Amino acid sequence: MRQRSVIGLAALAMVMALLAGCSGGEKNHAEAPSDKGKVRTELTYAAAKDINDMNPHLYTGSMPAQGMVYESLVENTPDGIKPLLAESWDISEDGKTYTFHLRQGVTFHDGEPFDAEAAVKNIEAVQSNAAKHSWIQLSTKIADVEATDEHTVRLTLTEPYYPTLLELAMTRPYVFLSPRDFVDGGTKDGVKGYHGTGPYKLAEHQTDRYAVFEANESYWGGAPKIAKVTAKVLPAGETTFLALQKGEVDFLFTDDRGTDSIDVEAMRRLEDSGDYRIVRSDPMNTKMIVANSGKQGSPAQETAVREALWQSIDRETIGKQIMSGTETPAETLFSTNVNYADIGLKPRDFDLDQAEKKLEDAGWKPSGGDGIRAKDGTPLVLKLYYDANSASQKTEAEFIQSTARQIGMKLELVGEESSSIASRRSSGDYDLLFNQTWGLAYDPQSTIAAFASESSYYHATSGIASAAELYRKIDEVTASANEETRKVLYKDILTIVHDEAIFIPLTNGSVTVVAPSDLQGVSFKQTQFELPFEKMYFE
Amino acid sequence: MRWLRPIGQDKLAALSLFLISTTLFAGLFAPFLAPHAPDEVHMELRFAAPSWEYWLGNDQLGRCVLSRLLYGIRPSVLWVGVALALSAGIGTIVGFVAGYFRGATDAVLMRICDGMLSFPGYVLTLAVIGILGVGLENILIAFALMKWAWFARVIRTSVRQYADSDYVRFAKTLGFGDVRIMARHLVPAALPDMAVAASSTFGSMILQISGFSFLGLGIQAPHAEWGMMLNEARTVMFSKPELMLAPGIAIILVVSAVNYLSDSLQLALDPRLATSRRAPHSRTVAESAKLQGSEVA
Repeated sequence: MRQRSVIGLAALAMVMALLAGCSGGEKNHAEAPSDKGKVRTELTYAAAKDINDMNPHLYTGSMPAQGMVYESLVENTPDGIKPLLAESWDISEDGKTYTFHLRQGVTFHDGEPFDAEAAVKNIEAVQSNAAKHSWIQLSTKIADVEATDEHTVRLTLTEPYYPTLLELAMTRPYVFLSPRDFVDGGTKDGVKGYHGTGPYKLAEHQTDRYAVFEANESYWGGAPKIAKVTAKVLPAGETTFLALQKGEVDFLFTDDRGTDSIDVEAMRRLEDSGDYRIVRSDPMNTKMIVANSGKQGSPAQETAVREALWQSIDRETIGKQIMSGTETPAETLFSTNVNYADIGLKPRDFDLDQAEKKLEDAGWKPSGGDGIRAKDGTPLVLKLYYDANSASQKTEAEFIQSTARQIGMKLELVGEESSSIASRRSSGDYDLLFNQTWGLAYDPQSTIAAFASESSYYHATSGIASAAELYRKIDEVTASANEETRKVLYKDILTIVHDEAIFIPLTNGSVTVVAPSDLQGVSFKQTQFELPFEKMYFE
Repeated sequence: MRWLRPIGQDKLAALSLFLISTTLFAGLFAPFLAPHAPDEVHMELRFAAPSWEYWLGNDQLGRCVLSRLLYGIRPSVLWVGVALALSAGIGTIVGFVAGYFRGATDAVLMRICDGMLSFPGYVLTLAVIGILGVGLENILIAFALMKWAWFARVIRTSVRQYADSDYVRFAKTLGFGDVRIMARHLVPAALPDMAVAASSTFGSMILQISGFSFLGLGIQAPHAEWGMMLNEARTVMFSKPELMLAPGIAIILVVSAVNYLSDSLQLALDPRLATSRRAPHSRTVAESAKLQGSEVA
């Protein structure tokens, strides 16, 4: 048997040699980044997940991919709402009727013209599946949509709703699919094809392997310069890093759940090699821990516990050390540059003594030999769920765990798939979980609307004393036509959730792009969920 | 301690035994040996190189790698040993009963074993984790549930060989009880097979538990475990490859030592080899090689 072990070791050595041999192998698929002969026109990006169902009226598809293929009526830009498929629009005096004048000469990828009739069919298709879209409040306020002539659509609401244009600008669901792809006149039971009006069309899709998007030559805004974008499914981490080094993929960005698939150090090394450069957007969202105030029997139900956790997180160190200085500490749910959010909320500093005092005052006393506090026999133990694919979340979680331990709070860490965390969020089966606000285009109105939505943060907010008041104000704010009233209401809402410490902010996150160094025009949209590939070009 | 002598003569075996006992000792006395607490976070020492204070450097949270390695022995080796003892214990009892009493008892027990053995080990472990949730204890439960059948099979075969031998029949004729016969005459004979089976399984179990922890299914943070340390090092494997060395080398050393020792144990414990050096021992070796083959599969 000793012989067997020797043979085993020899085999191991051979396998290692073979693996080492592989890494020096041919560069496949995408052209190598160092290959500078001719102007390149292709990009291959690494995606942690398949693009999935591209039906734009449902929510399983990859948002960056849907953003390339489909377009909305209007676009959210840093300078406000701008025309996209609608060239102009009028809003009636009472704020209940929106008339859109559509861009002429736009066709879907299958040649079908985009006209008022197609637009109405799409909006009706979304409305017919209203339950799915309840998170987007506009879907509950549309009374009627009709085509008044070939290029004019009139949208009538049941009541004035100020974020109408913002919500029409979102990546989904109010985007347009060729009516020829509809099944039984709708989209909720699946679609026959994925023909949008966007700058790219879906050319090929191999489930869990790759998806190819080709430039739409007849795009109304002019054909994009990058002729082909491939989304390649690769597991996060070192596989993606190797693929970038070898040129198998040459583009990478923060995915739609906010996780960077390679760590900051690895990105630096790619940048140092000269083949890649890193582009970071301005802070776009807030990474946070959501505390579930609505979970029966969980210590997270108590404000004092949530506040103590808030104060036991050293955000400074998370930003500087774990994120290597790429992210700044966040003291409030929304940073002050978000609309309506500059209301002077009092930050809760990292202060273990105060945190301890809060727990002490609330009746959580040290018990047993291990120093974990308890109250009425309930130990101060909370489960914190993190995305197992995220390079940084586990480290952050362990770091927070170690400081929380010092105040007698025990965090049990559970790493799970991002989809499982999302389902925990909607079912309310968690004490604490990692999450992020939805980005500039959605903050604060949609994120706040989600506080009351069953599928999002309803469970998290349902346990606080002033929950009823909170939900009433959320309902009021979107219906109010008066800017001043809105400001007051938003201030109240944000103050309530801040005082209750439901959303414990960590850092301000941004979208990071790793791109070939000769790729120009890398820019960002107002949302972390899409990237404007059509604006990129090689030099 | 007669059986220790041949091991003493075999340099490799002696080294393996030394390594394993050191590891076990270090694991048991980790709180006294470890220079720092294993989950003591020092963010300013993130990824620090080895120093006099931290012999093996610091990990992504500035924790002492050496201390984590020492504490990691507990789940990686000690608890695996417990699971092994448990499954070997169940397996031995079932194997002895089946091999000694034969007949219907044997048939029923072996059909149960067949049932257990028809599931691939990894799949069954994953199923148990799926039902009970992630965590070290659940993997250990799965190991104990899964491996006993294999032990029972091996030991039954070995017991059957001797249950028919003349001295056992003689003992029966003299009216000795079944338990006494098993304890006096069968256990010593079956011991080499048990030792070989147990020690080789030990190696593969250490590897498996590291594998499951590497996948994040085993012990949960912040507790240290070798497979998990490897996984943590994996995320920075291109910027800080040296972090993989400590847990990686530890796993290789312990598993190799266990395997070498299991070889020597077999030679040392076989009573036939001990009493008569002339008796060919090739048969036993071939048999255990066969067993090993099925274990690997």
